Amino acid sequence: MMKFEFTLNDCSHHLEIKKLKPILSVAVDGRPHSLEDKERDKSLKVMEVDGRIIQFYSKRVGNKVFLHLHGRNWVINLLDPRDAALGVVDGADEIKAPMPGIVVGINKEPGETVKVGETILTIESMKMETNLVSPRDGTLSEIIKAVGETFEKDQVLACLEVAENA
Amino acid sequence: MGKRNPLFTKVLISNRGEIACRVIETLKKLGIVSIAVFHKSEASSRFVKLADEAYELDSDTPVSAYLDVNQIISVARKCGAEAIHPGYGFLSENSNFAKKVIEAGLVFVGPDPEIIELMGDKIRSREFARENGIPVAPSVTFNGNFDEFIAEASSIGFPLLIKASAGGGGKGMSIVEGPESLRDCARKAMAEAERYFADKSIYAELYVQRPRHIEVQVIGDGSGGAVHLFERECSIQRRFQKIVEEAPAAYLEENVREELCNSAIQLAKAANYKNAGTVEFILTQGGQFYFLEMNTRLQVEHPVTEMVTGVDLVELQLEVAAGYSLRICQEDIKLSGHAIECRICAEVPEKDFIPATGKVYHLERPYGDFVRFENGLDQGQAVTLNFDSMLAKLVVHGPDRSSATQRMKDALSGTVFLGVETNINYLKKVCSHPAFLNEILHTGFIEEHKAYLAEDDFEDVEKIDALLASALEFREFKTLAFGAPEPYATMGSWRN
Repeated sequence: MMKFEFTLNDCSHHLEIKKLKPILSVAVDGRPHSLEDKERDKSLKVMEVDGRIIQFYSKRVGNKVFLHLHGRNWVINLLDPRDAALGVVDGADEIKAPMPGIVVGINKEPGETVKVGETILTIESMKMETNLVSPRDGTLSEIIKAVGETFEKDQVLACLEVAENA
Repeated sequence: MGKRNPLFTKVLISNRGEIACRVIETLKKLGIVSIAVFHKSEASSRFVKLADEAYELDSDTPVSAYLDVNQIISVARKCGAEAIHPGYGFLSENSNFAKKVIEAGLVFVGPDPEIIELMGDKIRSREFARENGIPVAPSVTFNGNFDEFIAEASSIGFPLLIKASAGGGGKGMSIVEGPESLRDCARKAMAEAERYFADKSIYAELYVQRPRHIEVQVIGDGSGGAVHLFERECSIQRRFQKIVEEAPAAYLEENVREELCNSAIQLAKAANYKNAGTVEFILTQGGQFYFLEMNTRLQVEHPVTEMVTGVDLVELQLEVAAGYSLRICQEDIKLSGHAIECRICAEVPEKDFIPATGKVYHLERPYGDFVRFENGLDQGQAVTLNFDSMLAKLVVHGPDRSSATQRMKDALSGTVFLGVETNINYLKKVCSHPAFLNEILHTGFIEEHKAYLAEDDFEDVEKIDALLASALEFREFKTLAFGAPEPYATMGSWRN
């Protein structure tokens, strides 16, 4: 049956539906657990896992789930198979904003060669500066935002020329 | 004592968020009309709703609204406010604002502009403290004569911190362990200072290892009366910002506490200080303390002091601002139990505390006689990067430090913010750390215990439950697990 991949604190976990009847069995990282969805209409939700009743709050935003369960807050991501295909990070051609903010400094110009790890631009979010570095060796083709311009999370801020012999 | 209320009929708060809410609370208690000013992006904020009257400030950016001196004063005059409470941050320590408020015929809930100016100047305020017999960390500035500098620096003792006078960001900074390396280090610092700042001035000061940040709450009435409300410990900091504060200090020899508090009072009296204020000190592990600076306003962490003394600091601020002399004397102020505050911030501690944004879809706060939860935002509101990342302050009181710590952990467990990442779990780890429990605190706590604080502290079974609960949020999973749920049966798209 279909597998789902989740990430929690950057660790990936696999869920797989094993059996539907008589009671739902879901393997979490290979080990099966019985799961029953008890109450979803109230803000405090209830499920039963391996015979244990568990109350929790949850809210899904996109592919992210915010949970409050066992007295702690959890943020869990569902890895969308289509995102996984696009989600190249190391060695990518683009420098994306890790968070919303404003460009406060540009260290390189289009046409310049850059080494992996070299700072291309500096951004600021909430009084905090972060350097955005080149994901690989290459030539800078474009800087999309100028100093003082704002951007949203995941917006592309600069591009590298596509490597010829890649 | 007598009845002093109403001190004012109307007070405007030139601030936002939780501190505006906090001030409004006391104004309501005293029967004073509260007036909020706000940027249009905050029209539905909690403080705007709580205030009796609220006026929009016209400005380009949200932050600049709360810095617009002329507009704020003009609103205050138009609506008939008699006083302006500045909260903390923004214009609270801006002497020009204080001056203009007074010139407009209004009362500034704060000290005289000259005192704000004096205390706002790092060099002048230290000089003032030194002149008034308050210990200041020994330091020496290079004045052109290298041998003289070396001799004076050596007499301070070691380790020494050498810094570029124009410096910042650690450039031109070094720690000198003993006299043998002083000359070399000083030369190197000068060369670096020249290279980075085109200015070879350097200075040396005593380097305090594992310093603690201890501050004393004072309040003065500007006519000689001044009392202290004991100390707070704010040694747990990240990015030079406090995140866990407590009152009284985790541990303190009784004579050191007395000296600290007396020094603070001495400074307040020397300045003929009027308002609530905080005198910040660095405390060495050996019990020696040095004046750092004085904050001439209400502090973010003031609730811990209120909880252990039972005093309403905002009420006292308003009383002295209205011209009354202090109605409490030092003997009236008694310490009772222990209080801890945690600053709940929208941030990702695992990723170097980068700020997080989102929307608070669900908010649950802990309740209890010994809990204060001071939030600036309500459920349904967006967390943006326009302002500081603090979402709320959680403050608890207990008969002693260990019970207060336990109550804090319970209260953190009962605090729910869904829709934005927070440091709640992280704060719980801080409060559970053996060094925190054993009162081994210093300002490098977060850095020193980085590895421990980065570890996952949940049980496997909790993790499994969390993953399963998450799966239940996804229709793709539920359709497979339980068959197509009724309303969604026909939709079936992956994302919506």
